[in-house]
Amino acid sequence: MRIARRPFVAPRLKPRTRRRETVLLILVAIILTVGSVSLSATERVAAGQPILLVPADPRALAVYLGLLGAVHVAQIVAGRRTDQILLPAVGLLGGIGLLLMERLPQGLVSQDFGGTTLGLGQLQLAWLSIALVVIGVLAVAVRSDAWLRLYKYTWAAAGIGLLVLTVLFGVDVNGERLSLRIGPVSGQPSELLKVILVVFLAGYLSENRRLLVEEDTRVGPLRLPPLPYLAPMLAMLAMALGVVVIQHDLGAALLFFAVFLLLLYVATGRLSAVAIGLVLFIIGAAVLYRLVPTVQERVDIWLNPFADPTGAGYQIVQALHAFARGGIVGTGLGAGLPLIGGQLPIPAVETDFPFAALGEELGLAGILAILGLYFVVIERGLRIAAAAPDEFRAILAAGLSLVIGVQAFIIAAGNLKLIPLTGITLPFISYGGSSLLANAIVVGLLLAVSDRGAEAPPANS
Amino acid sequence: MDPTLATLWILRLLFLALIYAFLFGVVRVLIRDLRSASREGTVGLGRLVVVASPGDDPGVGAVFELDALTTIGRDVNNTVVVEDPFASAEHCVLSYRGRAWYVEDRLSTNGTFVNATLVDGTAALGFGDELQVGEVRFRLERGRSR
Repeated sequence: MRIARRPFVAPRLKPRTRRRETVLLILVAIILTVGSVSLSATERVAAGQPILLVPADPRALAVYLGLLGAVHVAQIVAGRRTDQILLPAVGLLGGIGLLLMERLPQGLVSQDFGGTTLGLGQLQLAWLSIALVVIGVLAVAVRSDAWLRLYKYTWAAAGIGLLVLTVLFGVDVNGERLSLRIGPVSGQPSELLKVILVVFLAGYLSENRRLLVEEDTRVGPLRLPPLPYLAPMLAMLAMALGVVVIQHDLGAALLFFAVFLLLLYVATGRLSAVAIGLVLFIIGAAVLYRLVPTVQERVDIWLNPFADPTGAGYQIVQALHAFARGGIVGTGLGAGLPLIGGQLPIPAVETDFPFAALGEELGLAGILAILGLYFVVIERGLRIAAAAPDEFRAILAAGLSLVIGVQAFIIAAGNLKLIPLTGITLPFISYGGSSLLANAIVVGLLLAVSDRGAEAPPANS
Repeated sequence: MDPTLATLWILRLLFLALIYAFLFGVVRVLIRDLRSASREGTVGLGRLVVVASPGDDPGVGAVFELDALTTIGRDVNNTVVVEDPFASAEHCVLSYRGRAWYVEDRLSTNGTFVNATLVDGTAALGFGDELQVGEVRFRLERGRSR
């Protein structure tokens, strides 16, 4: 009898099962298949054909689920002890987004690649695939966070540089200069900037936490946080906000400010800092309302969209109608969004209003479940933060998950006319390469930080 | 009822029901996870990990869970005993006050160092900082659930 030799494998590769993730991912595959079948059945009935119980676009579904599985298997093979809930939750959100993009008219967005024209669904699939690869690579390859924590000012400079480049050389889309075009690829740097901002804040706050907690600036009877130590952060924030406001990207400005305040509270536990931030926010909002016409317009639409239902208020009025048509369980995937004059009722539905589209087709039940999925992402992030071995990783994990949660809240609430509408994307669901890539980096970093076998934090010296 | 419409209804409701099944499954895992975390008792206040130790007592990699008041020195009555010729019998005290760690030098002969800076009296100590007693270097880490 021959003694079994060790098969030829790379050294130190210890596969480790991930049972929870496996079970949840199988459930995700079933859900997306059922959703896809439901979509194709609805479309066939609308076209007067008999129902066939097949997925709407089996190849796209197979590619997406295959890649999701590949990220799962890569982590098993590499023996990573990362969080097992995050990937299925994000995978389900991305899959629902994919179904929505397949269901919308494919001509909304199209791009030519050497003769073949890719429609909305195919482009979204391509971006989702790249996003999943990014998640997988970060989750498996990142074993140390030194490259993030040691170069925080470099990251901050890179982020600001990116924004300045956009202001100088950006391309105008819908009157807002948000996109940077390099060759055939264009992207929105503010999506990437949110990740950079969190990395910088985590680095700065973890280094100066004790100073921020213990020192005070006394103004009369008030005990305020130590202003000198806040200055670098405030400068970074002011630059980011300033450029963003010049670009009229109000959603990003709101997101940056909210995440800044939340992280300041997470790191220091000082409610006074948050209170000052809120006061500054109110003053800033009032000033912007006076000075910037866009802000004024957005707030006026928010207060009364029915003042001009066919003009300025058209988008939000149509979104409200869509929510109303959806009711409790929705019209079903593929059955909503009746065309008005050959066009979709809501302009920019694929980037800014996917929440309204899902509200119509999946109903209140559906969007509550989707909000639930975002809460799961936040919970995991905060749990990873609570279990992190040091402050940098704790603040980083909290910030990364809050950035997704706050962004989802801002755009969902904007769609519902709960707050003035600001054009940012719904994470993992909206169409858009920059958004999907930036959020993939966020999830990949969260997974890497959650790894209990990761390298110990470097010593401060 | 028209079988076509019935099929559509079933598919739609099945899709929603499955999403909720997923959420239910996830929430059950989360609750179990939180319960086990709370059953394990409160997370420790912090821990000292030995980074360098020429005399190998304590050895590199040894972990000391910290109490709110932890004494370090060569004397056997200390919470953390450091068998190092350059450490004093009663070398220093770590204390957890408010929500931060402090180290107080107990007039040790060779001094206590935080991140290679000599401690004069008392100094604050953050997670990730390095503490040197004699020739033994520790790193302060956040406590894990025991």
